[in-house]
Amino acid sequence: MDIQNTQSQMRKGVLEFCILSIIQQGEVYPSDIVEKMKLANLHILEGTLYPLLTRLKNAGLLNYRWVESISGPPRKYFVMTDEGNAAYAVLLKTWNEMADAVQLITNNTNNINTLKADQAL
Amino acid sequence: MKKVININFQGRILPIEEFAYEILKKYIDSLRDYFKNEEGCDEIINDIECRIAELCDDRLKKGAPCITEVDMNLIITSIGRPADFEAQDGFEASSSSNTYSTEDTMGGNYYDNEYSDKQQSKKLYRDEHNKVLGGVCSGIANYFNLDPLLVRILWIFLIGVNILGYLILWIAVPSTSVKEVGGVRKRLFRDIENKLIGGVSSGLAKYFSIQVWIVRILFLIPFIRFVVNFRHLHLWQFWDSPHFPNLLDITFSPGAVFVYIVLWLVLPEAKTSADKLEMVGEKVDLNSIKNTIQGDLEGFGTRAKSWGSAQRSARREARSARRDERSNRRNENMDENTTNNRSDNKGCFHFVGNIITILIKAFVYFILGIIIISVLAALFGLGVAGTSLLPLRKFILEDGVQNWYVIGAIILFIWVPVIGIVTAVVRKLAGFKKANLLIRSSFWALWILGWVCIFLFFSSLTKSFSKHNTPVEKTIALTNAKLNFLTVTSEPKMKYYEDHWFDLTPFEKYTDEDTFYVRNLRIRITQSKTDSFEVKIIKLSNGSTKEEANRLANNINFDITQKDSVLFLDRGIGINKGDKFRNQHVIMTIAVPIGKRIKISKKGWQQINMNVNGHGIRTERIGDIGFGNDSWDGEWNNSFDDESFSYNRGVEYLMTASGLEKIGRMDLDNEVGKDEDTSDIEQQLKDLKEERQKLEGDLKKSRSEKMKELEKIDRALEQKSNDQKDKKAVTNNTSVMPNLNNVSKVANKFGDLQWVMERFAY
Repeated sequence: MDIQNTQSQMRKGVLEFCILSIIQQGEVYPSDIVEKMKLANLHILEGTLYPLLTRLKNAGLLNYRWVESISGPPRKYFVMTDEGNAAYAVLLKTWNEMADAVQLITNNTNNINTLKADQAL
Repeated sequence: MKKVININFQGRILPIEEFAYEILKKYIDSLRDYFKNEEGCDEIINDIECRIAELCDDRLKKGAPCITEVDMNLIITSIGRPADFEAQDGFEASSSSNTYSTEDTMGGNYYDNEYSDKQQSKKLYRDEHNKVLGGVCSGIANYFNLDPLLVRILWIFLIGVNILGYLILWIAVPSTSVKEVGGVRKRLFRDIENKLIGGVSSGLAKYFSIQVWIVRILFLIPFIRFVVNFRHLHLWQFWDSPHFPNLLDITFSPGAVFVYIVLWLVLPEAKTSADKLEMVGEKVDLNSIKNTIQGDLEGFGTRAKSWGSAQRSARREARSARRDERSNRRNENMDENTTNNRSDNKGCFHFVGNIITILIKAFVYFILGIIIISVLAALFGLGVAGTSLLPLRKFILEDGVQNWYVIGAIILFIWVPVIGIVTAVVRKLAGFKKANLLIRSSFWALWILGWVCIFLFFSSLTKSFSKHNTPVEKTIALTNAKLNFLTVTSEPKMKYYEDHWFDLTPFEKYTDEDTFYVRNLRIRITQSKTDSFEVKIIKLSNGSTKEEANRLANNINFDITQKDSVLFLDRGIGINKGDKFRNQHVIMTIAVPIGKRIKISKKGWQQINMNVNGHGIRTERIGDIGFGNDSWDGEWNNSFDDESFSYNRGVEYLMTASGLEKIGRMDLDNEVGKDEDTSDIEQQLKDLKEERQKLEGDLKKSRSEKMKELEKIDRALEQKSNDQKDKKAVTNNTSVMPNLNNVSKVANKFGDLQWVMERFAY
């Protein structure tokens, strides 16, 4: 089994969800997203973020607004659309279910493992 | 010391180091390649560019005077490279193994990763990012680390537009999404810095890491062939023997000129430092770019010191290159779409204009090349002619100063420029500097001296030829003038050698050791007033004085002998070293009575030419060169005065009151030749007959022998059968009988065979 591949699959799955969750909290500039994710110990390259945002925007989940900046040209800020909010709600629900399920399973196996270890002792 | 340029990038003016700018450009190109098939590609690139501009601005605000390559690498690393996107396609937890994010932040080169990537996995993929049709060619190029353009050109030229093969590969080879984007491979460029015409040769040489002149020579061979093959330019009339041009008959490709033009049109110029590095296949990293630019600067320094047109053109080049670069940079202001469009349009016109200029340039250079090679060939031909004629000079030139003139003319006027042009061309091709002033001016001086020599030579030679003799008509007495039919033919008197070591000395064939034969004879046919043939001879010569001319004319030794109805003429006028050649010639007038027939044989002239030269009509002319007069060979049917009539050789004519009348056809083979032929055939016939007789004799002998044997056997048989009868022994009979049968059969067969042989012999 290609562990790296699985890892990246797992990350890919939650990436969009994470980004939507950040934007859902309020209007945001892409580099802020990177910063916020970094705080959560999740690293994303801006080079990957931009295409993703464009994709989400084209799918109608996001919208953007030009915001004047103190220096230089205006900057692109992203906001959720209603559609995006709805999608986020669905994803959130799925994530919670999934997290619970995964939690349960991994805990169970852990329990079993500790049990086995105990028995061995 | 680093050059800082200002760029207008996404609405911000950024001072940026030139290297950093190159890196940025490469990076954006690689992004563009990567996102090519993504929906909203332009938007993504635009967003990323905005972000880069913003990050740069931040750095400047923090007090940096300009964006350095270190800054640029940090920015690029933070945004990520295509290879990173592909590998991770997303984010990663900091806990996981981090392969790249900080690895090459310090001035490292971002191609390193990809380069090692490529080395690991050598698989044939179609390259979706560099495709024209299906990306097959660029895939092959990636696989072999070649420039896709080269593969495409080879594909078309070598395999032809092999659609089937392409389709098969298209279907069979998997496509790659990102593997080799922006990787390090050599690319073909035109090397405008070392250009001679379009920089194609030096670009190719750089690509294949060979010397420039090798490529140039390969391109030049068709040129030489072109000139050499142009017989009708009459440059080879001296040396049009087949041996000479064949030396150059190496076929590289007749289309090489065409290939050159195509390459010129197709190959991009190596403008930037990165291009130049790619051209030789070096890895584009900062150090190597730095080195190249330093080299450039040094080169510019030395160039600035040099003088003359070379420098001016170099400046012009540099200026146009700078202009191009500026317009490129304008193109990169993707911020303003309108200007973008406009410059695109301009670029289109620019492109068409470029093609036209390139074609015109190619044409001009082609013509120029042909002219140079033609001049060279003509001079070379003259030189060889003159040099090989030098041994004959004692027959023509007066002793003393004329000899020096002619030698000077040949060496200085012909060979010096040949050597000069060849060296100049070779130097140019090999990219050496021009020879120094002293050498060049001494070449010119020698050549001018050559002009002087040639002028002096011709003026003194003209003087030697300036006077005519007083013509004296001499009647040749014929032993039997009243015959009905007169044939004029020539007698072989002169020596010639067929086994010449080289075919470039045509005159030697007409020379004895101290005699040189010219064939200046003109035969006129006129109408006789009487009823007998009359033959008159006028001997003519030139000379420096009248007396000299008269003496020379008297010295002409031209014999005519008559045998029955045939008039034999000497083959040529002998000229010895004492007398010199002063255009001695003989005019022979034959007056033919009305009602009589005459024929001027073709024999001799043609035969000599055929035998000696063997090259047909072209080389027949060799005998004429330098002796302007009518010569023995060749057809001329124009009468050259009022009295005489025009005629063809080898045709029988009847003199009528109104002039010559043709009888019979022109016989292509001359009559004596025919005689020789028939005698040959007779000889053969005789041989055959003898052989037949011998065979017949043999046959008869063997036949009689065999007959004797047969009789013997018969007798033996009879005896045996008698014996058997006598002894009443039947037992052996069966075994003997077949033998007997066999013997008789063999005898029969033998008889048949003899019959057949006899028939055959008859």
